[in-house]
Amino acid sequence: MEAERAEVRALEAEIAALQRACEQLPARWEDASRVRKSFQEIPQSDPAGWESSKDLRSHLRHLESELSFLSMLTGFSITDYSKKTEDLTSTEMTEEGVKKVLQRHRLSGNCHIVTFQLEFQILETQNKENLSSVITDLGIIMEPTEYSELSEFVSRAEERRDLFMFFRGLHFFVKWYEYRERTFKHFKDKYPDMVHLPEGACSHCMGIRSASRPGFELVIVWRIQIDEEGKVLPKLDLLTKIPRRALQLDKNGVIETAPLSFQTLLGVFGIEAAVESLISLLHARNE
Amino acid sequence: MEPAKTVCQDGETKRGVLAHLEGLETQMNRPCKRSEELQRAQAEESALGTKIHELRHLRDKLMAEVKQRRARGKASSANVESDQTVEIGEQEVLERKQESMKAILQAYRFTGLSGKLTSRGVCVCISTAFEGNLLDSYFVDLVIQKPLRIHHHSIPVFIPLEKIAAKYLQTDIQHFLFSLCETLNAYSGRKYQADRLQSDSAAFLTGPLQRNSLCNLLSFTYKVDLMGQSFSFCARLLYEDLNATLPTNITVTYQGKEALSASWEEQRASHEALFRTKPLHRVFASFAREEELDLSLAS
Repeated sequence: MEAERAEVRALEAEIAALQRACEQLPARWEDASRVRKSFQEIPQSDPAGWESSKDLRSHLRHLESELSFLSMLTGFSITDYSKKTEDLTSTEMTEEGVKKVLQRHRLSGNCHIVTFQLEFQILETQNKENLSSVITDLGIIMEPTEYSELSEFVSRAEERRDLFMFFRGLHFFVKWYEYRERTFKHFKDKYPDMVHLPEGACSHCMGIRSASRPGFELVIVWRIQIDEEGKVLPKLDLLTKIPRRALQLDKNGVIETAPLSFQTLLGVFGIEAAVESLISLLHARNE
Repeated sequence: MEPAKTVCQDGETKRGVLAHLEGLETQMNRPCKRSEELQRAQAEESALGTKIHELRHLRDKLMAEVKQRRARGKASSANVESDQTVEIGEQEVLERKQESMKAILQAYRFTGLSGKLTSRGVCVCISTAFEGNLLDSYFVDLVIQKPLRIHHHSIPVFIPLEKIAAKYLQTDIQHFLFSLCETLNAYSGRKYQADRLQSDSAAFLTGPLQRNSLCNLLSFTYKVDLMGQSFSFCARLLYEDLNATLPTNITVTYQGKEALSASWEEQRASHEALFRTKPLHRVFASFAREEELDLSLAS
């Protein structure tokens, strides 16, 4: 008993120390206080005449922080960009007051751990009434390439020359991907003997087993789907692996309806609580 | 039971028996007391056990949070280049670097989201496009204070800006911006389709195109000439999902006075399917192609 009481005291002390550490470190990127703090760190710029190297360097520092702020705001870091312009205006066009220009853009950067390289062409047509800009070609290279769920989406974006849909989809995909990784890791750390991630850290499925119930396994498959319009949605399913004898004893067909019940559970409690309750199902039998 | 003070003949024996009985009684109470103590101890132990479990869980959660924040902190300091990497060298090198950074700042507009710093915050510019056609841009001027607020903006009044801001602005600014991006791009796409229909395919319309400002409710009558017949329909398109550029509810109804024939019903159903899967102006472009094909075959 004494040992337990001592452990409680030790844990309470550890928690107090961690809470203090948490308060000192910055919170999530996107929350308002982080944005405020980042904005305050940007040095003031003095645009009036920076002929001297010193002024140029301070202006560079301002530009760097502006870029860093923009990168934090959007979640994208553009590391390289170049542009070539070609005038396609023929003499007939000039007579009619029409101007045609083809721009070739090269852009590379990253969104957290995913890097992208884009090459696209924009055709600008200017006539007396208006200016129209059309993306006439789009090529996207992504790395790492093992994000199979992304490759179909990328091809669709290229086909439709939909540059903005690509970036929007990429942003939400990366967010969901990291959330899935964090969630699976959380459960693996909490129940190391019961939770099994077959593909390691970036697994798209998680298995739950119990040593006292060999032959039983619950597998949660979590896919991140991107639909036609570029909307990113998580899709979770439950697969059950049950020994035949147990299935025969299941007169109420609980196993059969388990996947459907899981969907209901997800809808009511959300992902984390639903998975937690599944684990506690097998966990409880341990004691 | 009264203590054996009453004197009787067998005083000695009685005392002995009583004493014996008393002894038995205390013996009985001891294990009782022991089991009570045991129960109490067990309860306390299990309560401690639960408490330890809960504390461990809280500690693990905090540990993960601290780790995450530390990692984020490292990433942020890596992004902002330190003074040491700016070389003390030629003016040219610095100027070239300046040019490249200015270009990158401009290039952000190709992600759909770009921004310009202001004295009180940032003015975010949201670009929209549909099928590769670059369309209108909108801006949101944010004041970076506690709380974050919108100073002014160019977002049309029928876009649910307040709703999106109430949901995300204070807690997740990225989500706020990308959410707004989605809605604005979808609106821009729907508007583009309606405008193109009115300008390019006016010949097919037999009445004015009725549309609301959000461009998510369209109603029009049109006529298609095929196989020597003139098919007249009335279409009503409702885009329930404000983040979509294709309609969710489509009703195509028969406009003629004659009885509905099989060929009409076939046409009507196929038109409904077309409106569901293709952008509006493309559906009419395909009608135009079909008519042309029809004419060339007939002649």
